[in-house]
Amino acid sequence: MTNQVKAPHIVKAFSEELEQLSADVAAMGGLAESLVSDALQAAATRDGDLAAEVVARDAQVDAMQRDIEKKIIRLLALRHPIAQDLRVCIAALKIVTDLERVGDLAKSIARRVPTLNDSEPTAFAASVDRMGKLVLSHIHEVLDAYVTGETARAVAVWERDDDVDEHYNALFRELVRAMRDDHAMIGPGAHLLFIAKNLERIGDHATNIAEVIHYLVTGSELASERPRGPRPEQTV
Amino acid sequence: MADDRTNRTPAKKSDRPRRRDIALTAGLGVFIMAVLALSGEMGAGVFLAGALALAALAAVYYLTALTAAEPSVRPALASASLRPVEIEACEAMLERLPIPVLLIGPGGRIERANPSARAFLGLGAERGLLSTALRQPRVLEAVSAALRGERGASVEYATLAPLESHVRAYVEPIRLNVPGPMPFRAMLVLADDTSSKRAERMRADFLANASHELRTPLASLSGFLETLQGPARDDEEARDRFLSIMKEQTERMRRLIDDLLSLSRVEMNEHVAPTGSVELNDLVRDVAEALRPVAERRAITLEAAFSDMSAQVRGDHDQIYEVVENLVENAIKYSPDGAQVQVWVEAARTRDGAEHMPERIDPQSGRLTLSSPPLDPDARFAVVRVRDTGPGIERRYLPRLAERFFRVDGQKSGPAAGTGLGLAIVKHIVSRHRGGFTVESAPGAGSVFSTFFALAPARPAAPADAPGDVEETPDAVTKA
Repeated sequence: MTNQVKAPHIVKAFSEELEQLSADVAAMGGLAESLVSDALQAAATRDGDLAAEVVARDAQVDAMQRDIEKKIIRLLALRHPIAQDLRVCIAALKIVTDLERVGDLAKSIARRVPTLNDSEPTAFAASVDRMGKLVLSHIHEVLDAYVTGETARAVAVWERDDDVDEHYNALFRELVRAMRDDHAMIGPGAHLLFIAKNLERIGDHATNIAEVIHYLVTGSELASERPRGPRPEQTV
Repeated sequence: MADDRTNRTPAKKSDRPRRRDIALTAGLGVFIMAVLALSGEMGAGVFLAGALALAALAAVYYLTALTAAEPSVRPALASASLRPVEIEACEAMLERLPIPVLLIGPGGRIERANPSARAFLGLGAERGLLSTALRQPRVLEAVSAALRGERGASVEYATLAPLESHVRAYVEPIRLNVPGPMPFRAMLVLADDTSSKRAERMRADFLANASHELRTPLASLSGFLETLQGPARDDEEARDRFLSIMKEQTERMRRLIDDLLSLSRVEMNEHVAPTGSVELNDLVRDVAEALRPVAERRAITLEAAFSDMSAQVRGDHDQIYEVVENLVENAIKYSPDGAQVQVWVEAARTRDGAEHMPERIDPQSGRLTLSSPPLDPDARFAVVRVRDTGPGIERRYLPRLAERFFRVDGQKSGPAAGTGLGLAIVKHIVSRHRGGFTVESAPGAGSVFSTFFALAPARPAAPADAPGDVEETPDAVTKA
């Protein structure tokens, strides 16, 4: 499954530890992914209970991050990994940091659900949902790429982050316009803006992870600047 | 979402030790009394009565303990007494079972997976770790509980993107007759629930959409009817005018119902990959011929161009026809009279090449992918692009284009107005075909809509760089 452990080590336990490390990172990714997915679902169905559960489950992501970091430090101290093995460790260290942030952002989305439920449903639910699904698919694809070691897939996600930006810009403009036209929209609109911003940042973390995967597999960095559209903050 | 959580109860402590304790205590009592009786301290009659009383007490306690405590879950013990033929039969059954079944060993390692499980999870041949193949936290929790010998659980999980799927996972502990501290394995059975979940939601959506969208034309119909019955009863001129408006409204309602039905049909089958094969060059030629009279009525020239290469794609002919027809119709509808609409086919494009044209139609144009398949760097696509020189679409509307009932101008009336479902239908058909759907547009410069579909494996002469032992995943099953 993992391309990352190709030739077995003389110490079999070391190979297994590295494989287990990748599996742990993947499991943590799955957890972060499910938090984002549940937070979106809670926002779409106005489900306050599910949102509360997401907030509570974020602690699990944090615990996993600490746990994996400890394992990596132990690996580094005991096995002195070099080359590919060292990259596996460093990549895992970087990826769990990004995933922890993803969990936090999902929590932040979930926290806004009860407040949004206090106001009338807005017409932007579909747009937020669509953007959320796109971001979710990016997270899903990079985690798949991590597990299988497919750099091309990771790079493809990295290149497609401007789609997320395009959705964010469109939503930003529509929200600003709606808030200008109808002052009752200012409250829910502000929360929706933050949700959109959080999603956009989750997308950025997905591109970060894609960069790490490229480094992990090839040993070189994704050099060029990521394609990005104009920032809405500057153009409105 | 209540059923989303694991419905697992903590494993009952076995009551066997308690039973043993009772038997032991009673036995000890009898023994002490026997010693007393032998040493002459106690009469034989008293001893007998006492022993009987103790035995009866123990029996009563034993029986109540047996019925009060729930029968303990005893994990299925893999029977070791199977004859080789039976083992072979079991193996064959497991191999042919169309339901994904896995056996997970200590540490979460996949020990066995039947072919449908391999296809469903996209597993390779080696014995990997479950968490790399299936990242669902609830399933992983249930599996590690089962590996500790706890009671099995059934867990539901859903992935929303890139493809929606709902799966129910059954986890059951299995105790193997092996030495060592970890005799437990976990059996994991996956059941795809997507169709029923979808059907449920489709029905609700259909009713909501249909009733909401039909209300407007219905209200106007009943308004006209009232006027015709009342004030305009004898007004010949008004009656004619009203009747023609009413005809238009009923026409619109019919179109709406047709489109809604078509949309729900497509949505219902969206996760079932089509099996047919379609040559896009031929299909585009047919669409262009069918729509040319429509274009000519408004002096619009419809130009069609084709690829030299074969553009054979996997797909349902009627549905892809509907896609191209919808796009070309839209292009004609939103073009000014006398304008030009182009439709053309490109074959053997990479994913990047398929998504957008190499050159932007305008430096300021907005580009967006409205629907796209999971990324596969090796896939090659055939593309149909439709370009018009109409007014174009503002950038901020692009993400909403495939939303049902969304119309850029917000115009909801007039004979030319669509139902607002055309692009939603296109999106769902494309998504069913695991294809892509993109738009590029700039106000004043027109729009280009592109759809692309994976090329059907025409000849096996493709560069054979793939290792031979890689299992080919049927595209009907998707990675969870």
